[in-house]
Amino acid sequence: MTRITLGGAVLRGTVSTALMVSLMSASALGAPPVDLSKWSPEYVRSIAGTQDFDTAADCAKVTPLDYKGRLTFWYQGIFEGDPDLLRQYYKDFFETFRKTYPNIQLEDQALTYNDLLDKFRTALLGNAAPMAIRLQILGGTEFASKGYLQPLKPEDVGYSTEDFWPGAMKAVTWDGVTYGIPTNNETMAFIWNADIFKRAGLDPEKAPATWDDVVKYSKQIHDKLGIAGYGLVARKNAGNTPYRFMPQLWAYGGGVFDEAAANPTYSDVELDSPQSKAALQASYDMYVRDKSVPVSALTNQQADNQPLFVAGQLGMMISHPSDYDVMRDLQKKATGSDKDKAQTVIDNMRYGLIPTGPDGKRAVVFGGSNIHILKPEYVEGGKVDEAAAKAIACMWASPEWSLKMAYAGSNPGNLNGFKTKWMKDRLDKIKFLDVTTSMLPYGIPFPALPQSPEIMNIIVPDMLQNALTGAMTVDQAADDAAKKVKDLMGGL
Amino acid sequence: MTIVPGKTEARRRLQPDRSGVLRQIWQHRADYAYVLPAIAVMLIVIAYPIYYTVELSFFKTPPGLQLRDKTFIGFDNYTTILTSDVFWKVTWNTVVWTLGSTFFSFVLGFGAALALHRDFIGRGVLRAILIIPWVISAVAASYIWKWIYHSDFGIIGAVLVGLGLADRPPNFIDNVSTVLPSLIVVNIWREFPFAMIMMMAGLQTVPEQLLSAAKVDGASAWQRFWHVTFPHLGNVSTVTILLLAVANFNSFIIPWIMTGGGPSNASHIWITHIYELAFGRQRWGVASAYSVLLFLMLMVLGYFYVRALAGNDRKEGSA
Repeated sequence: MTRITLGGAVLRGTVSTALMVSLMSASALGAPPVDLSKWSPEYVRSIAGTQDFDTAADCAKVTPLDYKGRLTFWYQGIFEGDPDLLRQYYKDFFETFRKTYPNIQLEDQALTYNDLLDKFRTALLGNAAPMAIRLQILGGTEFASKGYLQPLKPEDVGYSTEDFWPGAMKAVTWDGVTYGIPTNNETMAFIWNADIFKRAGLDPEKAPATWDDVVKYSKQIHDKLGIAGYGLVARKNAGNTPYRFMPQLWAYGGGVFDEAAANPTYSDVELDSPQSKAALQASYDMYVRDKSVPVSALTNQQADNQPLFVAGQLGMMISHPSDYDVMRDLQKKATGSDKDKAQTVIDNMRYGLIPTGPDGKRAVVFGGSNIHILKPEYVEGGKVDEAAAKAIACMWASPEWSLKMAYAGSNPGNLNGFKTKWMKDRLDKIKFLDVTTSMLPYGIPFPALPQSPEIMNIIVPDMLQNALTGAMTVDQAADDAAKKVKDLMGGL
Repeated sequence: MTIVPGKTEARRRLQPDRSGVLRQIWQHRADYAYVLPAIAVMLIVIAYPIYYTVELSFFKTPPGLQLRDKTFIGFDNYTTILTSDVFWKVTWNTVVWTLGSTFFSFVLGFGAALALHRDFIGRGVLRAILIIPWVISAVAASYIWKWIYHSDFGIIGAVLVGLGLADRPPNFIDNVSTVLPSLIVVNIWREFPFAMIMMMAGLQTVPEQLLSAAKVDGASAWQRFWHVTFPHLGNVSTVTILLLAVANFNSFIIPWIMTGGGPSNASHIWITHIYELAFGRQRWGVASAYSVLLFLMLMVLGYFYVRALAGNDRKEGSA
């Protein structure tokens, strides 16, 4: 059991404060609509439902509601791991947009997280991109740095930069210019099955405090019950992998660069540091030494962990609050005795903060998505209908829709979303939302570098796979990954 | 007296005095006109991409820049590829994948064709069933097999554990040693019906009289197969094997969907590696150089394929 000393507590407090300051520090010139320094579940509850917004009226100031135009729009949409509730909100959004702007001919196309970047890159090479796109937070910098995107800031669609998380604004800024508007921002939480904990001799109401505890708990669950302890994910080219491994890497004090620092410089590669190797070693211990995680972790993504969890075959995992709804959806589809088993799992679902590292550092990926507008020369037909593109950016990034489109799994990119009546409704209906909003201050954005997609989607998963398959030792895998990042940053 | 040339004479005068190849082209000008649209489309969708790929293979395309900002580096991309450890690993995987898939698909397909060539009750139904893997979408088949193989709750694992034949489900696709053979099995399952259909067609051409005569002469079943049937299937076998080899060399869907080339590059073959280099890592120059090498390999296979077809034509002509 890890003992927390006074020094450790002070250090932990200092690190957490630094993280909070880095993420929440608002511009000195503007005041955000909510007081980020007071951020807590109680504060979020106190502001929910305190302000009304009229989205159509607000967006009419940007693009008149009778505007006639045409818009091609791609977006990172729902996938197999999302709950039905979210599907309905996506459907509602596009129906509402078409009603609000009846004269804009909208040609929208949904793509999954793992397919969007490849398809968008290919389209750009053929100057056949859409006029506007909603990309994952990881992708924007790559396209901004290459000159594909138009400058676009919240003020261009009727909002203020201070209306959005400072960390999210960093992710849409390249060379001092803003190229997008955040639509939603998210941090995940730690989920466990209290019944499995109890049967394995663990405290059912207490999440593992540290990542070392996760390793221990995972082994205990596996040894006592013969099922997988922790839902490790190490698939390549899948967003789920960095979202689950990076919090572990940062908690141990490691990183790809110094992205976990208050003011990252991204100058030194730290994947081969002792701290990063310790994080990789923890995964190795679970997968190879203890065999306490799913064997299929190398080809799994979170959508594969969900059926394992609802079947009572997995003790712990990292995910969104929406996984609670996903479990309920899966339970509805189950038959016979499986239905009851699934209900037992749902009744025993618990959410907690993501564990800390040995020094008390707690971290989580500050994720989300952003809307961007393309330059005309890269768009099919060579024209961008800016007014139409701004209309959809205004609507999606509005307090109303940035909340609704993140209803079950994420959080509104527009901070005003937390003040809407829908947030109040959401707090009552979405279980465990408090936990993920509590994780927001610990969120660390991916490095705002054009090379980030390759690092997170290929190099980091490769490092994990090389270590977990025994193709390399932990040291070799970390050194190899660090070299690849250095080569990449060196232009190779 | 003035002689007015007739229509035929006038047409002859209009015809340029060409000889040899040019004359033949002129004589078949209408045929060329008919295929011209197809040739034009091919030039656009095949010839230009090939030219562009070859050109791009001589350029450095840093991932942080647009493609138009590429810089000429001569044969450096080829040197990079040939000196890379990953290249040799992926090449070995490609050889194992192509030879393994082709050989076993052919043998199984040939066996099935021989079995179905006999007349028995239910032959039609069996033939239809055996063709199913070939007509199923490769994408759907890949997802189904992924679940069959799943290392934690796959069907094979559940059956083996249920029957007490294993303590825990076997690790098919999350293990560097077993992943490639496991994928080859899926590929064989999908492709053997193609070989079966080809060989069944070939078997129809074996003269029944020869087989009957051999039987009258006392030849055993094996002797009839080896000395009569098999020699007649030489060309169709060659064509089938070459077509399978080309398809397998280029086969993308099964390895990409089931494993994405992993774990740890253990199931990457050339085509999946090229895709990852180009679309995942945006090394368009290196990926193009890889593609040129792949193209040359396929051209070699294509040459043998055309030769085999030409051999067939000659035989049929002489017969």
